[in-house]
Amino acid sequence: MIRAYLLAHVQAFQRAWRRMASQPASTMLSILVIGIAVTLPAGLYAFLGNIANLTRHINTDPHINIYLAVGASSEEARQIEVRLKAHPQVQAVNFISRDDALKEMKNTAHLADLLSSLDTNPLPHAFSVVPKTIDSGALEGLRKEFAAFPRVEYVLMDFEWAQKLARISRLAEHLIALITLLLSIAVIFITGNTIRLQILTQREEIEVSRLIGATYPFIRRPFLYFGVLQGCLSGMVSLLLLVVVLWWIDRQVQALTISYLLDFHIYLPTPQQSLWLLGGISLLGWLGAYFSTSFYFKHPEIA
Amino acid sequence: MIQFSNAGKRYAGGREALVSVSLQIDKGEMAAVTGHSGAGKSTLLKLASGIDLATSGSVLVNGQNLGALRAAGLAALRRNIGLVFQDHKLLFDRSVFDNAALPLVIASHTREDTARRVRAALDKVGLLNREKSSPVTLSGGEQQRLCIARAIVNRPSILIADEPTGNLDAEYAATIMELLKSFNQVGVTVLLSTHDEQALERLPCTRIRLAGGRLANAAPAEI
Repeated sequence: MIRAYLLAHVQAFQRAWRRMASQPASTMLSILVIGIAVTLPAGLYAFLGNIANLTRHINTDPHINIYLAVGASSEEARQIEVRLKAHPQVQAVNFISRDDALKEMKNTAHLADLLSSLDTNPLPHAFSVVPKTIDSGALEGLRKEFAAFPRVEYVLMDFEWAQKLARISRLAEHLIALITLLLSIAVIFITGNTIRLQILTQREEIEVSRLIGATYPFIRRPFLYFGVLQGCLSGMVSLLLLVVVLWWIDRQVQALTISYLLDFHIYLPTPQQSLWLLGGISLLGWLGAYFSTSFYFKHPEIA
Repeated sequence: MIQFSNAGKRYAGGREALVSVSLQIDKGEMAAVTGHSGAGKSTLLKLASGIDLATSGSVLVNGQNLGALRAAGLAALRRNIGLVFQDHKLLFDRSVFDNAALPLVIASHTREDTARRVRAALDKVGLLNREKSSPVTLSGGEQQRLCIARAIVNRPSILIADEPTGNLDAEYAATIMELLKSFNQVGVTVLLSTHDEQALERLPCTRIRLAGGRLANAAPAEI
């Protein structure tokens, strides 16, 4: 029973493959069309992923950085910390001592050599304050208030651009999701139409098969395999295109970036992402074939 | 066994092709439906093979009420019925062998099993030496024999043939009838239709006469 079922599937796959191989030109065209259509959103996703990679470490929550004078002592910093923590508009206070700041800087940036050549620590004590408000007027008030604290040298609120960036990238994400949705529907229709043409050329075979006892699943199966196979091959085309395009963009980016400021590389899709892509398109191909055969079963006369 | 109980068929548009037909064809019996064109012969055969469903009354085949079967059940039943069509319904894009193999492909037989059974069926209808030919190259009688080979390749218990001698001259028609008789002799229930009562003259079978969609009379087998 299970053997017969497996055999039925193997034979359906073989039939799908033979049908595909018997029309190499139209098969290639469909695969290319779907492959290119899918490359657009996939490429945008990959690009966005790279941007997100770049901005991931930027905290987009509103926070206020307070830098003390370089000469300020730990005791003076402690007093300011107490005042900040007691402030009704402040939600959290994070103290960054000048030693910690130096250590972190040595670890992260390319400035290690420069810093180690210095005799003294050039960095001040600092606080990172998370306010309770995000209203820009209230934040400006806080900035002025903190700036008036003793030994405070500089108050920085530089999260606005980061927030803007986050907003833009969220918008981009939504746009790409929309493009993906539309192109997915397009892929379903493209596959559906290919299958429809297949059905038309095999109409006689299907009708005779129905008459002599073929079930709907039996008739549908090779078309489903056809859709999946076509989708899978399109996915491979799309991955190939993606790798070429991203590699090319990476070279352009490398020519642009000042490499010691930003270590920014375009990353190629991971094996896992590639599998998702292949699986996704195969699923779309399957859906196209399913809808197309369903339509034919319901309306055999106008398919 | 095929059993009609007051079975009727009204097509969309109101034309009544068959009116309240009751009859029974036993297992192993051979029966011929006769009558003028338009008498309902094809409709009766379509109802018996589950290609069409009765709009009134019921049709039972091997104890199963066709009207109550789902699509998959009907398909399974049809795999157990050999169908011979007047217009053969052969596929001209493939060989004689592949045409005869179609029911086995549908039933997912292995390649070896398929080859064995197809050759046996082609041998029975005298087309074994043509297995690689295209059906286009076959004569009308040969095409009908190929259609019969396809109908019996899956060893069905019932063989239903709609005007199997329809377009053939008397000599060819006689061989087709002989073929059908030989299947009946090994236990296959055979139901055929013909407008040509002469072709039945030497055939021991039950006659079912239809006129205007109604049963005229059913004569018992005459030897």
